[in-house]
Order: sequence, then structure tokens, then C-alpha cells
Amino acid sequence: MILAGLVGFAINGDGPGALEALTNGCGGAITLTLSIAGPYLFWSGLMRIAEEAGLVKKLAKLMERPLSRLMPDAEDAAAPVTLNLAANFFGLGSAATPFGLEAMRRLDRGDGRASDSMAMFIALNSSAVELLPTAVIAVRSACGSSAPYDIAVPTFLASIAAAVSAVVSCRLLGRLFK
Amino acid sequence: MNALSVALLVPIAALFIYALIKKVNVYKAFAAGAADALPQLINVLPYLAAMLTAIEALRSSGVLSYLIGFLRPAALRVGLDPELLPILLLRPFSGSATLAILKDTLTNVGADSAAGRAASVVVGSTETVFYTVALYFGSVGVTKTRQAIPAALISGAVGVIVGLLLT
Repeated sequence: MILAGLVGFAINGDGPGALEALTNGCGGAITLTLSIAGPYLFWSGLMRIAEEAGLVKKLAKLMERPLSRLMPDAEDAAAPVTLNLAANFFGLGSAATPFGLEAMRRLDRGDGRASDSMAMFIALNSSAVELLPTAVIAVRSACGSSAPYDIAVPTFLASIAAAVSAVVSCRLLGRLFK
Repeated sequence: MNALSVALLVPIAALFIYALIKKVNVYKAFAAGAADALPQLINVLPYLAAMLTAIEALRSSGVLSYLIGFLRPAALRVGLDPELLPILLLRPFSGSATLAILKDTLTNVGADSAAGRAASVVVGSTETVFYTVALYFGSVGVTKTRQAIPAALISGAVGVIVGLLLT
């Protein structure tokens, strides 16, 4: 992608623009990380409190059975996985990310390789099942829509279809990738 | 959703009360949890830098708009409104860029037009796949991502197709 961009810059003869764009990208990563940092530290702190109070264990026990069908080796990560999916479902993206990172940390076996459970978690995360697509609704009403909520039902159905295909394709493809 | 964020305060307060009843050292536990989160944030940063740099290179070099021009005839042939192309191409990479483009598209075609509704559903029912992969796998240093990206892309494509069929 960077190479394609560089070729584009060369064709347009825009050397200074190229450097600016590339460094801007890195700068964007810093801003992005900082914007994740606040919620991440906050929710990680809360999560640890819940853990020491014994709540995480309770949630994990509750979710172990349904979750183990999708993610067989997710015992430790059952609680953060559940919280991540729940936060996404209610449109709380900034709370979902910390739980997602925590889930990845607990699923990780330190071998630099994605397990089936990790792949399933990522695939599920990318199907965006959300009760109400609030960001889209906000943009629609900002753009003068007379029925900003109109798209909620088709959006929900489309993301359910995406989630189902995520599970199926993750299962089927898992055998192809060693 | 304001009501939703207020509703979120209740479980947070309940958590603190429950923890206090259970005699958890809330202050210490919070700090320990936050301390755990720090190294992971640092792990994530380089991967995000690589991905955002690549996107920025594609966008400001004009390669992206060239690609959109190139795909236009193909989109018309399969009955896809070419106005949706920028959204479809950028959606997997960047959430904020997608919302900005959605705003442009809705202003151009009208939020309540067929294309405007289709664009809204596509954005709402898909995720920033590559961003999620870079963030989550980057945080634990996983480089062999196996079926995660193909499965996520297939799921995204199904979301788009079903979304387009429903609008």
C-alpha cells in the first residue's frame, strides 16, 4: 500500500506532499493511541476491581458453556470476550476496545500465532452487531434525513448475516491455515 | 445515546459498592488493572503507525481516487451505485474516515435516497476490519493471523451484500 502510494506521489511529482502524508500517518497513530489510552486504563482498572470482587469469575462461569462452542480454548477470556461483545452490542465502542485487548491478552499463548479462538473473536468483532447504529444515525440526521432511524432494521439484519458468516467461514477456513 | 451512557453509570456504581462490600482495596485494584494496560498500549502503537501511514499514503497520493475511477464501470455493470465506492474501499481501514465520507455521500445523494440509505446500512453493518486486526493482534504481537482476515472480510462482504439487498 505504501509503495502504491509512493508511485502515485511520483506520478504527480509531489515529493513534499508524500513525506508529509507519511509522517502524518504516524502522527495519527499517536493521537489514536492516546485517544484509546484513557478509556483503556479506566476500564482495565474497573475490570481488575470486578475481578478481585469475584464478579469476573461469575460471569466467566455463566458464559463458559455458550462461548465454548465458538471458542473452545477461551476459558480464561470468557469474561472479557462477553463484555467486549456486549459493549459493542450497545454501541459503546470506547468500552469495547479495552475488553477486546484484555481478551486477546488472555487468549494469547505467546507464540505469535493466532489460535482458532482468536480468529473467531476477531471475525465476530468485525461483524458489528449493534442494537442501534448510533454513529450512522447521528450522521444521517446531521445530513438532513427525515427518517434517520429508518436504516436500523436492515442494518441489524445485515450485521446478523455478517456474524453468522463470520462464524461459518472462520470454522471452515481454520483447517486451511496451519 | 445519552440515556444509554447514563444507564451505564448504574452498573459502575454497583460495581464499586459490591467491591466495597467484598472488602476489595478498590484504589489498589484499579491502579493494578491500569498498570497492566499500559504495556499493551505501547505494543499497539507501532502497528497502528504502519497501517495509518499506508492509508494516508494511498489517500493523499491520489491512488485511492484513481482506484475509484477505475472501479466505476465495474460497479455500474453490477448495478452498484458508484457513489458507494469510496465507502466500500475505506470502510475496512478507518472508522473516522468512513464517517467523514458517509457525510459527504449523504450530502451528495441525499440521506433518504436509495443510495444514501444503502451507504448508511453498509457503514452500520460492517467494521473496520484491518484496524481491528492491527489493534488486537498487534497488542499481543501475533503476526501469523491465519484465517482471521479472510473470515472477517467474507463476513464483511456478506454484511454489505445483505445490506444492499435490503435497501
